[in-house]
Amino acid sequence: MLTVSDLVVKRGPRVTLADISFTLPAGKTLAVVGESGAGKSTLIAAILGLLRPSSGEVTWDGAPTRDARPALVMQEPRAAFNPTMSLRRSIMEPVVAQNISLAGGRLERLCAGLELPLDLLDRRPDQVSIGQAQRAGILRALIASPPLVLFDEPLSALDAVTQKHTARLIAELQAEEGFAALIVTHDLGYAVAHGDQIAVLKSGRIEEIADAQDFALNPRSDYCRTLRDAAIALGALEAVA
Amino acid sequence: MIKTAGGLLLRALVVLSGTAILTFALLWNAPGDPAQAIAMARFDALLTDEVIDQVRAEVGLDRSFWQAFWAWLGPLLTLDFGNSAVTGRPVWPDLWASISYTFPLAFAALGIGLIISVPLAILATKRPGSLLDRFAVGLASIGNAIPAYWLGLILILIFAVKLAWLPALGASTPAHAILPALTLGLGVAASLTRIIRSGILEARGQPFLPAIRRRGVSDRSVGRDHVAPHAAIPVVTVFGLELAFLLEGLVLVEVIFGRPGLGTFLVQAILSRDFSHVQAVVVLTALVFVVVNLVIDLIYRVIDPRIGESNA
Amino acid sequence: MRSVALLVIALVLLAGVGPMLAPYDPTVINIPKRLSGPSAEFLLGTDALGRDILSRLLHGARWSLGLAFVISVISMIIGTTIGLAAALGGRLADWVAMRTTDTFLAFPELVAAIVIAGLMGAGTWSLIFALSVTGWMRYARVARGIGLSVQSRGYVVQARLAGLPSWSIARWHYLPSLIPSLTVVWTGMFARAILGISALGFLGFGVQPPNPEWGSMLLDARVHLRSTPLQMIWPGLAVVICVLAINLAGDALRDALAQQDAPE
Repeated sequence: MLTVSDLVVKRGPRVTLADISFTLPAGKTLAVVGESGAGKSTLIAAILGLLRPSSGEVTWDGAPTRDARPALVMQEPRAAFNPTMSLRRSIMEPVVAQNISLAGGRLERLCAGLELPLDLLDRRPDQVSIGQAQRAGILRALIASPPLVLFDEPLSALDAVTQKHTARLIAELQAEEGFAALIVTHDLGYAVAHGDQIAVLKSGRIEEIADAQDFALNPRSDYCRTLRDAAIALGALEAVA
Repeated sequence: MIKTAGGLLLRALVVLSGTAILTFALLWNAPGDPAQAIAMARFDALLTDEVIDQVRAEVGLDRSFWQAFWAWLGPLLTLDFGNSAVTGRPVWPDLWASISYTFPLAFAALGIGLIISVPLAILATKRPGSLLDRFAVGLASIGNAIPAYWLGLILILIFAVKLAWLPALGASTPAHAILPALTLGLGVAASLTRIIRSGILEARGQPFLPAIRRRGVSDRSVGRDHVAPHAAIPVVTVFGLELAFLLEGLVLVEVIFGRPGLGTFLVQAILSRDFSHVQAVVVLTALVFVVVNLVIDLIYRVIDPRIGESNA
Repeated sequence: MRSVALLVIALVLLAGVGPMLAPYDPTVINIPKRLSGPSAEFLLGTDALGRDILSRLLHGARWSLGLAFVISVISMIIGTTIGLAAALGGRLADWVAMRTTDTFLAFPELVAAIVIAGLMGAGTWSLIFALSVTGWMRYARVARGIGLSVQSRGYVVQARLAGLPSWSIARWHYLPSLIPSLTVVWTGMFARAILGISALGFLGFGVQPPNPEWGSMLLDARVHLRSTPLQMIWPGLAVVICVLAINLAGDALRDALAQQDAPE
């Protein structure tokens, strides 16, 4: 279980994250929603252990999250891959680095699940489409069976059709693999459709955290209500309306 | 600003300490028995072990590295270079005499370099890509590739041997300085031309210049008030490099022309393994360069406040 | 890139094949023929010991270019390692590495090399040591600068998350980005090494006789400036041509890389 308690991150005099506390049980999905500049990227970096919090703690099952080797799916699909290497080499990096013996057929199974042809992996990142690159990025994140996977705007670089497709694949793989997912997105529709819980981040604070259905039906704060109504107006939350 | 200056000063002190340790380590680890070398240079005869040991104790070579380092560093902090272990004379007067030969030569070379490079660069950048510009760039490239010692020999060959217009060896008259100064000055001119030229071109490319011109400011005052200061930035920053270039050239040029000076002083000291002389030159040079670089850094930040923490 | 490739081929040919073209053994002394001018027998004449200058010049290419190559590569390895250690090793490592670089930069490189080579005792090994240990700083600065700009790239973050050790990250993710800039620095340092070798040779601190090296040939020729002035022209000319060619190739390479980066 991911436990974030009283997390504060200051950058110079500015507070980028204040008093963040929540838990994410194994296998569940938390969707963090917020506008740009709300502190989403900082939250991800703090959870991954890439930056040291000013105070507070981030742990996975009581130990620092880094020990659990959490994985990250990035917003910019191609940026996650070294442009001089084949996708396969980058994808296998966690396996090599952590000295894992991969179960027979795991790569093939994941590839099939992500609808990635195996021979595509021998290409370099600039030789595949954005959607393929993002699915390769997901493959790379999942290959070493991490207990926790963070998704930083995993769909925003993709076109609408590819978005739906990729979102479905992520959900299917999560059901199969059982990892806990923390999905950072500005898309409330996606958050409600796929999150077990929704956290709304505003100016570095959690405005509201609730079960997805509760949140969609009855947001407590004015800000969240506005957010939901805007999503409904845009047709992103048809299910609820 | 004061914080930056303090940081730079601290950095300069760290660099100086590093230089001191490196210098001493080098002297300490120099192969051969320095005591024997010193004794030989001093007595110039067959030596008994007792004499060598006596020299060793006298010069302080029988202590441990760090003991010897602190003993060595103490007087240096007051710029007291002591006596030469080889000649037995105090170091400063001899060093000062060399500097008094080297300074005028360095200034003359710098002057020649500026007189040639500034007009050449300005003319060249009037029309970038023109024949004149290419000529200047080509000349600078060739100048950068010519080693000072070779140029010096060629100048001696032409002006001293063939034409017999100028004296070549020694430093007895001011005329003796002409060829060495020319040798160094041409090298300085070559590197400065490149730097000033690209400085001017870069300054001209400043995005605000077209707006100033549109306001009706004359080309001339645009050049004076806006292009020149920007072109000065790279010139100021390379001043340290230029000084290094000068000193490197000086060592060789003084040797070629048989001139007394800091360079010959250093080479002589190395050859006779006169550690007091070597360390005096090294410490003094390091001090000068650290101070010059400190001043350059400060000036740089005054001219162009954008540069700051980014390259700290 | 093409100009640099051509240049490297030309220099390798010069250093590799040049000595084979030499008409005589460069160290064979022939006193009766000493200080003779250019002739059909000795195309460029002979030196004070009657050795064939053309043969010495061609053999000298191997010394000057070969040593310059070795020195510039050693200093590249030192500098890149220090620069990457600074970029990857955290704040303390960065501080130590950069102050060390400043310390070495605080002194004119060639003067430092003269002092080091001189105190170590003249010879080829001291020459290599002296010029390598005073020639790595530019590589270090470039490696650190690019290293710092690479560290926030996605694939570096991913490699960290994957648990790849720092030296592997440096090897696989930093080094490929460094190579173009390091090559530009290398051309400059290669030219500087040629100048440094001949300068030390000229002062008598470098390659020792009877080995033919351009700087020490100049030192020999200097004494006979009056009687056989041409003797002194050739080794200097060889240095100038090599340095000029390398510098021009380096400029072309830098411009090509700048153009490649510009549209981004």
